[in-house]
Amino acid sequence: MEQMSDVDRSIAEAPLPTVKTLRRRKSLGYQATRFIAFNFRMMKMVTRAHH
Amino acid sequence: MARVVILGAGISGHTAALHLQRQLKSKAEIIVVSPNSNWNWIPSNIWVGVGKMTKDQVTFPLAPIYKRKHIGFRQAKAVAIHPEGSPDNPQGFVDIVYTDPTRVGEEEQLTYDYLIVATGPKLNFAATPGLGPDANSWSVCTAGHAEQSAAALETIIEALKAGERKTLVIGVGHGTCTCEGAAFEYTFNVEHELRERGVRERADVVYLSNEYDLGDLGVGGMIFAQNGFETSSKLWTESLFRERGVRAILRAHVEKVDPGVIHYEELDGSRHTLDFDFAMLLPPFRGVDMKAYASNGEDITEDLFAPNGFLRVDADYETKPFEQWAPEDWPKTYQCPRYANIFGVGIAFAPPHAISEPRKSPNGTVISPAPPRTGMPSGVIGRTVALSIADRIRRGDQATLRTASMAAMGAACIASAGTGLRKGSAAAITMYPIIPDRRRFPGSGRDLTQTSGDIGLSGHWTKLLLHYLFIYKAKARFGWFVIPE
Repeated sequence: MEQMSDVDRSIAEAPLPTVKTLRRRKSLGYQATRFIAFNFRMMKMVTRAHH
Repeated sequence: MARVVILGAGISGHTAALHLQRQLKSKAEIIVVSPNSNWNWIPSNIWVGVGKMTKDQVTFPLAPIYKRKHIGFRQAKAVAIHPEGSPDNPQGFVDIVYTDPTRVGEEEQLTYDYLIVATGPKLNFAATPGLGPDANSWSVCTAGHAEQSAAALETIIEALKAGERKTLVIGVGHGTCTCEGAAFEYTFNVEHELRERGVRERADVVYLSNEYDLGDLGVGGMIFAQNGFETSSKLWTESLFRERGVRAILRAHVEKVDPGVIHYEELDGSRHTLDFDFAMLLPPFRGVDMKAYASNGEDITEDLFAPNGFLRVDADYETKPFEQWAPEDWPKTYQCPRYANIFGVGIAFAPPHAISEPRKSPNGTVISPAPPRTGMPSGVIGRTVALSIADRIRRGDQATLRTASMAAMGAACIASAGTGLRKGSAAAITMYPIIPDRRRFPGSGRDLTQTSGDIGLSGHWTKLLLHYLFIYKAKARFGWFVIPE
């Protein structure tokens, strides 16, 4: 059997998203709010840091 | 009338050209020199690479835009800069050779008052034997390369449908590569496509990278504040790899790509091989092959360009250990120190050093990412230099140059992990500043209130929105300048 590398082990121990989290990542309503929040954050950063 | 020559029409050079024209109108002659006839929104090449977009959806011809905006255009490549001019005329000029199909091979000397070097990278496939679409692996660096990758992927999917097992390796093809984000995106878009086509269980998907940890992305990784905890981009990315069943090989320098076999060295000095049926490996970058000459004909290429071929600007290029790297090392005005009327923007400027911690194997092989300076920073730097030159043309050489240090600039990165308005996904990341500043922000070096990561469908919507917005902007349509870089 092939030995696990440190990277393989680290990935195997990483937290898995719960069913609820996976559902939320696809939920149109919730994602619409994330879309607005992210774009607002991005625009804030652009206006503060770029100009 | 002052003449500004811009070498390169990528994100940075094209942005600079449009802003200069808008600022100066008929007060200056602006000429863009690019060996390519088309502009390419490179971030969407990964979608071409999985057959979800066509080449025509991510490119458009430059000539009609420049004609409409009264910007001169030469489809040609620059081969030499003469910053001091000739013995008869002290005005600087560049030697160009036409790639325009109607004038192939013709040479011209273009004089300039200001020169912007925005030549982007040379895709250095030659650094790794067997790397690249002319040899044994694929690429998504250009829209044409991405189309080839899509065709090769389709062949693999057909074989998977026929019941065969296949190994797909996606990553970077050298220990000093940059653009790990693009490799990450292509990995997850391919994985998404395999699932959509119902063949995922027969495919082994492997991510092969020079990063020390997952989530490094050439920026030394990030720390996000999430649900009351500080989470690393490492943990966050590892979670995605576990969820999607993607294997990762990190800290690797690809030494050679034979047909179906990748030979690589790991950071501990050990050497390995990896069999593959499909491999998309990005090449390392270096500056384009351009020479520089003084007025007496002396070769001054090494004065103008760093050993990696990128233009030296107002950065601190003194070699120093990682612990002494500082935000002040990074350039602010992008002005060439020896010639005040030459500027380097986008990927074409020589960075002072990497952002990720540098590492070498016991065999002396450098295995650590080069610093990314694509996308948002490229556009911002192009715009800033354009405004500086416009100020100098209007107000004279005493006008203060504007600044856009990557140490005082934030960036947004949307890493696609699959397409589809209902089924798509992307990691949406913001970071500030790009260059960590541990004096201002002890710990991670970045502002936790402006550094964030989120995975979900909305990230895909944002990436799609940016695709249409930036192509609209690059076409210089009504109100283009309102869209920030």
